[in-house]
Amino acid sequence: MAQLRQDYKKFVKLNTEILVAGPEKAEAFKDYWEKEELPFIGLPDPEHKVLKLYGQEVNIFKLGRMPAQVMIDKSGKVRFVHYGHSMMDIPENKELLELIEKQMS
Amino acid sequence: MARVELNVKAPDFTLDDFNGKSVSLSDYKKKKNVMVVFNRGFF
Repeated sequence: MAQLRQDYKKFVKLNTEILVAGPEKAEAFKDYWEKEELPFIGLPDPEHKVLKLYGQEVNIFKLGRMPAQVMIDKSGKVRFVHYGHSMMDIPENKELLELIEKQMS
Repeated sequence: MARVELNVKAPDFTLDDFNGKSVSLSDYKKKKNVMVVFNRGFF
């Protein structure tokens, strides 16, 4: 999250919004967002609604237990998906930004 | 790498953000790219 915060402006520059969904409740999100001063949109999803939806329809998460990134372009299509095999398995911002710049802007 | 489905329409969803404001993926259509990050947990 901290890494993503650092580069948030670069994402914004490329006309990209970041939505972070997680299983915590709203209060936990709020506390964390305030503590870490996170600029992106936080979406509490304690019922795993979106996770399940994406697991079923986009076929990306088998268990839904690891961090994942889904990039969606302006037309609403999925352009990139990465799902981690561990908590540390997160693509670098540089990689994500390059992808947006080259393929989605 | 897992097999993923690219270039399909992303399923729309609506959730309330932590301030109670409703956010839908379709809000961004034709306006912005969106990166949805699924976070396992903060702690």
